[in-house]
Amino acid sequence: MDIKISGLSKVYPNGHAAIKNVNLEIESGMFGLLGPNGAGKSSFMRILVTVQKATSGTITMDGLNINEHRHKIRSQIGYLPQDFTFFSKLKAWEFLDYAARLSTSLKNKERQTRVNELLEQVGLLDVRERLANKLSGGMKRRLGIAQAMIGNPKLLVIDEPTTGLDPEERIRFRNILSDLSQRDVTIILSTHIVGDISSTCHNMAMLNKGEVAFKGSPEGMIEQVRGHVWQVMLDDEEFNSIKSRYSVVSTIPAAGKWEVQVIAKDKPHQDALHANPNLEHAYVYFMENELGVSLV
Amino acid sequence: MISLKNILTISRYEGKVLWRNWFFRIIALAGVIFETIFHIAVFSEVDSPPWLVLSNSWIMPYASMLLISIPQAAAVIFLATGLVKKDKKLDTNEVFFVRAMSNLDYVLGKALALFKLFFLLNLVFILISLIFNLTSPYTTFNPYAFIIYPLLTSLPTIIFTTGISFLLVTIIKNQPVTIVLLLGIAGVQLIYYFDQFSNILDFTGFRLSMLSSEISGFADLEFALLQRSFYVITGIACLFLTSFLLDRLSGKRLAHIGTGIIGAGLLAFSSLIMVSLWDMRQDPIELREAMITVNDQWITEPNITILENRITMELQENRMLATSDMVVKNNSPKPLNKIYFTLNPDLAAEEVLVNGKPAQASRNLHVLSIEDGILLNPGEELSVQIRYGGSVDQAAAHLEVDQERYESAMDYFMYSLQKEYAFLQEDYVLLTKDVMWYPGSQAGYSRKYSSREPLSFTEFELKIKVPEGMTAISQGARSVENNEYHFSPEYALPQLSLAVGFYVEKKITVDNVTYSVYHYPEHDFLERNLDQLSDTLSYLITDIVNEYEDAKRLEYPFNRLQFVETPVFFTAYNKIYENHQAFLQPETVYFPEEGGDIRQFDFRRQMEDIDRQSSSRNQSLSEKQKQATILNDLVRRVFTRLIAEEYVVDGRNIDNPDYSIFPNFYTYSSGIASEDWALLNRSMANYLRNDREAQIDYSRNINGISFAEECNELMRNASMTEILTEEKFNRIQRSVSLKGDYLFSYLGQLIGESNLRSFLHDWFNSHQHQLTTYDQFREALKNRFNLDIDPVIQKVYSDTSQPAFEIIDLQKYEVLDGDRKRYQVLVEIKNTGENDGIIEVKFNAEEENEEGYFNQRINEQPETETPGRLSVIRQGEHKLLGFVLDEKPDKITFNTLISRNIPSVITMPIGPLTQRSGNNLFDGERVIAAESESDVSEVIVDNDDPEFTSFSPIKPTYLKAFLDKQKTTDQRYYGSWDRSYSKWLETTGSDYYGRVIRSAHFTRSGTGEKQASWTPYLEEGYYDIYVYMKGKNQNEYLGRDGENRQFFNHYLVQHADGTDDIRFNISGAEPGWNFLGSYYFDQNSGKVTITDECDLRTVYADAVKWVRQ
Repeated sequence: MDIKISGLSKVYPNGHAAIKNVNLEIESGMFGLLGPNGAGKSSFMRILVTVQKATSGTITMDGLNINEHRHKIRSQIGYLPQDFTFFSKLKAWEFLDYAARLSTSLKNKERQTRVNELLEQVGLLDVRERLANKLSGGMKRRLGIAQAMIGNPKLLVIDEPTTGLDPEERIRFRNILSDLSQRDVTIILSTHIVGDISSTCHNMAMLNKGEVAFKGSPEGMIEQVRGHVWQVMLDDEEFNSIKSRYSVVSTIPAAGKWEVQVIAKDKPHQDALHANPNLEHAYVYFMENELGVSLV
Repeated sequence: MISLKNILTISRYEGKVLWRNWFFRIIALAGVIFETIFHIAVFSEVDSPPWLVLSNSWIMPYASMLLISIPQAAAVIFLATGLVKKDKKLDTNEVFFVRAMSNLDYVLGKALALFKLFFLLNLVFILISLIFNLTSPYTTFNPYAFIIYPLLTSLPTIIFTTGISFLLVTIIKNQPVTIVLLLGIAGVQLIYYFDQFSNILDFTGFRLSMLSSEISGFADLEFALLQRSFYVITGIACLFLTSFLLDRLSGKRLAHIGTGIIGAGLLAFSSLIMVSLWDMRQDPIELREAMITVNDQWITEPNITILENRITMELQENRMLATSDMVVKNNSPKPLNKIYFTLNPDLAAEEVLVNGKPAQASRNLHVLSIEDGILLNPGEELSVQIRYGGSVDQAAAHLEVDQERYESAMDYFMYSLQKEYAFLQEDYVLLTKDVMWYPGSQAGYSRKYSSREPLSFTEFELKIKVPEGMTAISQGARSVENNEYHFSPEYALPQLSLAVGFYVEKKITVDNVTYSVYHYPEHDFLERNLDQLSDTLSYLITDIVNEYEDAKRLEYPFNRLQFVETPVFFTAYNKIYENHQAFLQPETVYFPEEGGDIRQFDFRRQMEDIDRQSSSRNQSLSEKQKQATILNDLVRRVFTRLIAEEYVVDGRNIDNPDYSIFPNFYTYSSGIASEDWALLNRSMANYLRNDREAQIDYSRNINGISFAEECNELMRNASMTEILTEEKFNRIQRSVSLKGDYLFSYLGQLIGESNLRSFLHDWFNSHQHQLTTYDQFREALKNRFNLDIDPVIQKVYSDTSQPAFEIIDLQKYEVLDGDRKRYQVLVEIKNTGENDGIIEVKFNAEEENEEGYFNQRINEQPETETPGRLSVIRQGEHKLLGFVLDEKPDKITFNTLISRNIPSVITMPIGPLTQRSGNNLFDGERVIAAESESDVSEVIVDNDDPEFTSFSPIKPTYLKAFLDKQKTTDQRYYGSWDRSYSKWLETTGSDYYGRVIRSAHFTRSGTGEKQASWTPYLEEGYYDIYVYMKGKNQNEYLGRDGENRQFFNHYLVQHADGTDDIRFNISGAEPGWNFLGSYYFDQNSGKVTITDECDLRTVYADAVKWVRQ
C-alpha cells in the first residue's frame, strides 16, 4: 500500500500541537517511526488508522483519501495500539474470533482455521482457551498482533509494541514482524526503542515535537554519525569532566577505570578512538546536535 | 448503515463478556433467589396464600415481573453505562473502532448483548412464576399472562434504561456521574412522582395499571400500551443518538447523518406519544372542570321532575343506542319556559320530541336544554322522547370528587389499578346513574353552590336487547324473550343501573324476597366453599334478615336483592350528600370480582381462622356450622356491617369501599327532600344506619389528637358552608357526620331518644317508595311532640361556639339493694364552654379477651356496649349525673360530641368500687349549686400550665432529626407513634390529666438528660406529692417475660433540706394519681422533676399534685 501524507497537522483543543506539517511517503514493507516520548508518534498513528481526525493535511492510501473513504480504508488496516488491554473475560481464541467476524466474511469453518493458524503463527495455540487477562505481557502483545493481522490487512499499524517486554519476548516479537514484512504488507512501527527499528526496518522517519526530523533508511541515519562516535578508557576525574561536556552513550566499568562511548563532533580526549556507529548512536547524535535536545 | 452480521457478532461477544461479569451473575442470582422466596412466601402452599392473589389468573406472572422491575432497572443502569463508558483506557475500543463497521452496528450490538442477557433473566423469572402457577392447586393457568407481562413490563424498561444510560454516558463521558444521575432520576420518580400524573413517568411500569380483569379484560389498555411504547421508542431513539454522538469517526458520512436523523425522528415520535399520553390524562380532568362550570350555570335553574322514564336500548359493540320516553312535571312553583336534561357528554341526542313533536335542543357537554316552545305551568306535565346513542365517557362520573382523590391510586395487592366507573364494551356493560347513561333532570355537582339538587323518584322501565349468551341485570321484575330483557321496577326509584355480561344466576326466594347472586361461570367460589349450606340457606337468610331488621328497625322494602359480581376495577366514592357508594344500587349490590381483596371472601383462610378459634376454645364444629359461620361473618362484616371494623385511622382511606345494603332500607325507598337543609337527609340516613364504630381509631396515635377533634376545631373556626365549599373531603365528611350525630343527639335529648327512634322508624316504614318533604316531616314532628325542629336544625348547623365539659368528680359504689348487688356511679360535670352542649355517657361491661389482641374473631363483635344516656348541660351549668347499673361496669365513656374537649371521647377505667349500703340510689340528673371555692390545701400543676417546663440538651443528629420528622407547621400535639429522640412533645388522650384538654408531654426514654419539671408556688409546710400517670398500662411491648419485669420512673424532688432522688416503681402504679412521697417544703422548694431515664420506651410527664397535710 502506498501512503502519501502531506501537510499533516494535529492541534488538540487545549492548543497543544502534536503534529506539525508532516509530509511523508510510505511504501510497502516495514517502516519505522522513531522519536522520544511525546514526539507525536501516537497521534500520528491514530490519525493514520482513522481513530482521530487531523486538523489539516491529507493522507491518501493507494490514492484514497482516508477521510472520505474511511469505511473502505478501515477494512484494509490492522491496528495494535500502545498499552493495549483486553476484554478480561474473553478467551484468546474468542478474542481473535471476535475480530475475525468483524473483519472477514469467512465461513465458520474457514474462520476457525484462520484463527488457529494465526494463534499458531504467534505461538499462542497452546493457550487458546486461556482468558486474555491471564496471558503474560508478551503473549498479550502477540495476541494483539494476531488480531491486527486477522483481516489480512494491507496496512498494519503498530504502536510501541515492545515496551515493557523482556528481551526474549522482544526478540520473538521482532521475528514475527520480520516474517510479516516478507509479505505484501505495509507495516508502520512506532517506537522509542531504537533497536526495534534497526533490526527490522528498511525505511524510517524520526519525529520530534511533531515534526519530521529525519526520513530515509536506518543506514542513512547511521552514516550521518560516522566519525562522531568515540571510545575511551577514563579514570573517575576524567569521566566526570567528559560527562559534563559530551553525550556519553555507554559506560562500562573496567579495572578501576571506565570504558566510555561518547558522541562528539571533535575528539573529546587524547586517547579517544573512533568507534563503529549504530542507530542508537545516530539517534543520540541527532537529538543532541541537530535538534539540541539533551538526552543524556 | 446497519450490518446484521456485525451487530450479531458484537452482541455475541459482548454478551459473553457480560455473562462472565460477576456483577451480572450476582444480581441474576439474587433476582432468582428473591423471586423464588417471594413466590414461596406469597403464592405457595407453604402458607395459605390470600385468595386475592390466587383468584385472578393474571396476578402471578404480573407480580413476578413487577417485583424485579425497579432493581432490574438499576442493574441495567450499572451494566449499560459500563458497556459504552469512555475512559482513558480506550485502546481496547480502538482495536474495534478501526474495524469496518458503523457506529450504529457497534451501539446496537452492545445494546443487543445487554437485552439478550436480561431477556433471558426475565425468562427465568417468568419460569419460576410458571412453576408456582402450575403447581398451585387453587389458581388457574393463563398462558397469555406469561407472554404479555414480560413484554409490557420488563422489555420496555430494559430498552429504555439501556438507551438512556448509553446516551448519557456518551454525553457525560463519566460512568460514575452518569450512574448517580440516572439513579437520582429514578429515585425522584419513585419518591416524588410516585403515582403522580397517571404514572406517565413511571418508566419501570411499576405502578402502571396493567392487571386484567377476568370479566372485562384490561382497563385502559390503550394508555398502558402507549406509555410502554413511549419508553421503547425513546430507548431506541437514545440508541440511535448514542451512535450519532459516539466518540468514533463515522465510516460513512451519510450513514452517520442518517443515524442522527432517525434518532431525532424517533425522539420526536416518542414526544408525540408523550403529548398524547398527557392529553389522555388531562382530557378527563378538563372535561370534569368544564362540566362543573356548566353545572354552576344550571344548578340554580328550576327544572322539571321526571315522573316516568321508559328506556329502550340496544348495544352495538362499544356503543349504545337508546330511546327514553319520559313524562316530566313542573313541580316548581313557577312556570318553566326552559327545561333541561343531563346525559353523558359522549352520548349524542339524535332526536328530541316534546309531546310528540320534534323540538330544538341545544347541548352543552352533559346538559341538553330545550327552550323551543316550552311553557310548562306549575303542576303541568309533558311527554318528552329523546333518542340518543354513542359511547359513555366515564370521566363524567363523580364530579364532586376532587382531582387528587380522582387520580389517587386504587391499591390492590401490589398493583395500582385503573379506576373505572362504567363499562360499555362489546363483552361487558356496567352502567350506573353516575355516568348519566339515561336522561336525568338534575344538574350535578357545582362548586359554587354547596346545596345539592333536589331528590326525586322516577317510575323506570327498561327494555334491552343483549347479544346471545349474555345476561342483563337491572332493577325490577324481569322477563326475557329472544335475548330481549324487560325490566319493570314495581316502585319509583331514584336511579337505575344496568349490568350485562356472561353471568350465571343463583337464586333463592325467602319470605317473598328473591336473593340472587350473579357471577361469572368460572367464579363459582361461593358454591364451592359453601356447598353444605344449600338446605339451610333459607334459614340462614331469615336469621340474617331478622337480625338486621331488628337492629335497624326498618323493613326491607323491595322484592329482590341481587349480588352482582363486577370487574375488579369498578370503583366508587363517598359523597358529601350521600352516605352510600355506587356499589349499592336499588335492589342490587355490586361486589368485586371473585371477592376482590375483601378478607371475608377469602373462605379458605376464614376456615383456618375458625379452626384455630374453635380449637383454642375446645369446640368441635361441623363443616356445615363452619360454613354458616363464614357466610354470617361475610354478611355481617361486609353487607350489613353489624360487626364493626377492628380499627381505623379516622380521616384516612375515606373512599374505602362500602357494600352495606342499608341504602335499600332508606335512601332508595324514602328520604327527606329539603332545599334548605340538604344535609338533613344524609344525617338522617346516618342516624338510621347507626353503624357500629370501629373499635380502635389510631388517628390520635398519629396526629396527637383524633380526627374528630381536628374537625371540632375546624367547626369552631368555620361555618358549615365554608367547610362544604373549601375543605378537603375527609374533613367535610367528618364534620357533616359530627353535626348529624349532634343534631340527632340533641333531638333525642329533647324528646327522648327512644321516642325519636320509634317515630322515625314508624314514619319511614309507612312512607316507603316515596319522598317526604321537609315541611311534611317538620309538621309531623310538631304534631307528635310539639317540637319545631327548624330552630334546632338552624342552631346545630350554624353554631360555631362549642361547649367544654369538665369532669369534676367521679364516684362509684357497689350497693346492696335488698339482696341484689347493684352499682351506683355518680358523675359531676360542668360545662365551662361557650355554648350549651350534650354529653353521652356509656358504660362498658368487663370484657374477656383471652385470644390476644391481634386475632380477628370470625363472626363476632367483641365488645358489648350498653346504650348511652344523653344529657344536655347548658353553658356554665354544673350537673350531677347518676347511673344505677345491674352489671359491674368496667369502663365509663363520655362522648362530648361537638365540643372543645380533647379527647372528645373520654374513656376511663372505673377501677375499684367503694362498698355502700342503703338504698338511696340516684338515677337521673340534677343541676347542683356552683362548686365551692377551690381547695386551697391542694395545688395541681399540669403539663399545660406555665409552672411546667421541659428541658432537653440533646441536639438531634441529622438522622434523629429525620427520624423525628418534625413538621414545619406549628403543630401543637404529636401522636404517640411519633416519639421524639430529642424533645418533649405534647400528646393527648383519656389517660392523661386535664380539665378540658387531657394532655401530657412525652419523649423517648434516654439516659436522664431530658428533664421536665413542675414548679408550684407553695406555702411552707408538709405536703403529700402525687403524680398522675397512665399506670402500669403503658400499652407497650415489654419484651420477653415483660409482665414480670419492674419498671421505674426517675423523679427528683426538691424539698426544704435538699433534693431527693426517687425511683418510682410504675409496674404497680394505678391509672390516675399515685403517691410519690411526703416532704417539708419551704417557699423556695417544692419542685418535682422527671427525667427521661426509664426501661420502658416512653416517658410521660403529666401532672403533679401537692396536698397539704
